Amino acid sequence: MGELGKRYECEDCGTEILCTKAAETIPECCGKEMPIKGARELPSSD
Amino acid sequence: MNTTDFLTIATAICPDRPLMIYQGQQWTFDQAAERINRLANAFAGLGITKGDRLGILQVNCNQYIETYFAAAKLGAIFVPLNFRAKADELSYMLDNAEAKLLLMGSRYVGMVDDMLPNLPSVENCICIDEKCDGKLFYEDLISDASPEDVFTEIDDDDMTILMYTAGTTGRPKGVPLKHSGFDSYITGNVDPPDPITEEKNILTVPLYHVAGIQAMMAAVYGGRTMALMSQFKVEDWLQLVNDEKVNRAMLVPTMLKWIVDHPDFDKYDLSSLKVITYGAAPMPYEVIKKAIELLPTARFINAFGQTETASTITFLGPDDHIIEGTEEEKEKKLKRLTSSIGKPLPDVEVKIIDSEGKTLENYDVGEILAKGPRIMSGYWKNEAKTAEAFTEDGWLKTGDKGYIDDEGYIYLAGRADDLIIRGGENISPKEVEDVIDSHPSVEEAVVIGISDPEWGQECRAIVVLKESEKATEVDIIGHCSSLAGFKRPKSVVFVDELPRNQVGKVLKVKLREQYG
Repeated sequence: MGELGKRYECEDCGTEILCTKAAETIPECCGKEMPIKGARELPSSD
Repeated sequence: MNTTDFLTIATAICPDRPLMIYQGQQWTFDQAAERINRLANAFAGLGITKGDRLGILQVNCNQYIETYFAAAKLGAIFVPLNFRAKADELSYMLDNAEAKLLLMGSRYVGMVDDMLPNLPSVENCICIDEKCDGKLFYEDLISDASPEDVFTEIDDDDMTILMYTAGTTGRPKGVPLKHSGFDSYITGNVDPPDPITEEKNILTVPLYHVAGIQAMMAAVYGGRTMALMSQFKVEDWLQLVNDEKVNRAMLVPTMLKWIVDHPDFDKYDLSSLKVITYGAAPMPYEVIKKAIELLPTARFINAFGQTETASTITFLGPDDHIIEGTEEEKEKKLKRLTSSIGKPLPDVEVKIIDSEGKTLENYDVGEILAKGPRIMSGYWKNEAKTAEAFTEDGWLKTGDKGYIDDEGYIYLAGRADDLIIRGGENISPKEVEDVIDSHPSVEEAVVIGISDPEWGQECRAIVVLKESEKATEVDIIGHCSSLAGFKRPKSVVFVDELPRNQVGKVLKVKLREQYG
């Protein structure tokens, strides 16, 4: 399912989406499911 | 994406999480979003439309942040003003911005009333923290306005903030900052809210400073709770971090020094701190060394940027603050910690040029240039300064000198110009010199920055008196009372004449060598 607050990135075209409302389905792009993009390794400077 | 989307996104993900904590009160993302809608509708009712400028003169507070987003929702331009500035300086900025609306704290009402006759563009004034005669009251506007959301057609490249910064000569310069500039930094560096894990950020840096605005935007988009401090006081900072279990803090070196040197440091639990960012001035090695030892849970970041770059452009990360490895590695890391500002962020290009504009090889010292989507496109209504600030092919001249090593780390090597930076505040020597020159006994004056263990730099005036005139150091410093306190010289040196080159230009380099 689409998880609230998670970023998903298309492995083919690089499109990135952010889930602001959880859903039963996993978002798709370029004909396939988009994997979750992990948190950044480095903290931001703010 | 425009900056109002940061709030919309985070409110959708974590509506019930506190967005701001201030003076014993707190507002969730949802509550803040509603107050912002009401305020935007109130501003619209006062005739504010896209492109209008709104000035704000107040210390950090929840209303400051609400006002920014309410203005942004209308496509209006937010003009944060330095609350340490004097009436003359504020009048200049407000007049230059042609502000239509001015919001202020009650402590500034008297000063603003004296300024208003000379500010024809200002149509309405709002007092933020209490009811004041002749001013609209902020909370009345909020309670009387509609909570309906406001939608304005906003282009990502529209200006959202006009921020004033001191240069080396004369009056402050207005720097237009675009929605797209903040978008580039925030979406490139900040993780969106985690619905489960909460983070708290203590906001100490003033919101009239680009670092304060960057921290605020990052907190909103990141779903972080901001513990707001109206102004930095070391005991209050320690107490707030202790009580609220704060995870993130941004500090200028002077603040960090006061924190780690505080006699009651051990009485506070600061173990919640995970990230401490510092910048805006050189960090003394002894201070950062002590901070790393005393705050073992924190990861330290040195962030380098300026108003013209919409804040951080280079970054010396946490791993560079861990001095370990072979002796050779330790030496290299120590050097980086004491003089490097790290590597450019992914959306920024940096290069070093010589005085003729030629790109230099690694390790050769020259001026640091920057390019990228966050760089301003020019100063507000100031073509001459804009032309000076950029190379012909569009690179921003940062005014800082430095070099790059073989691994891409950038090192600072002083200023390419005469700018003085005291505790993170830029000071134009020319502005101070003009005030000293107006003293009836002064023939001419030059102001230089001298090293100061507390503030990084302080102003020193080198003064030539008119023939047979007399004045003391106290007289000269007292004559500078029209300037903000941080700009006034701390010391005065009287000389018979100033060193000059063949065409009569004062040799500041010589003065810095002799009196710096």
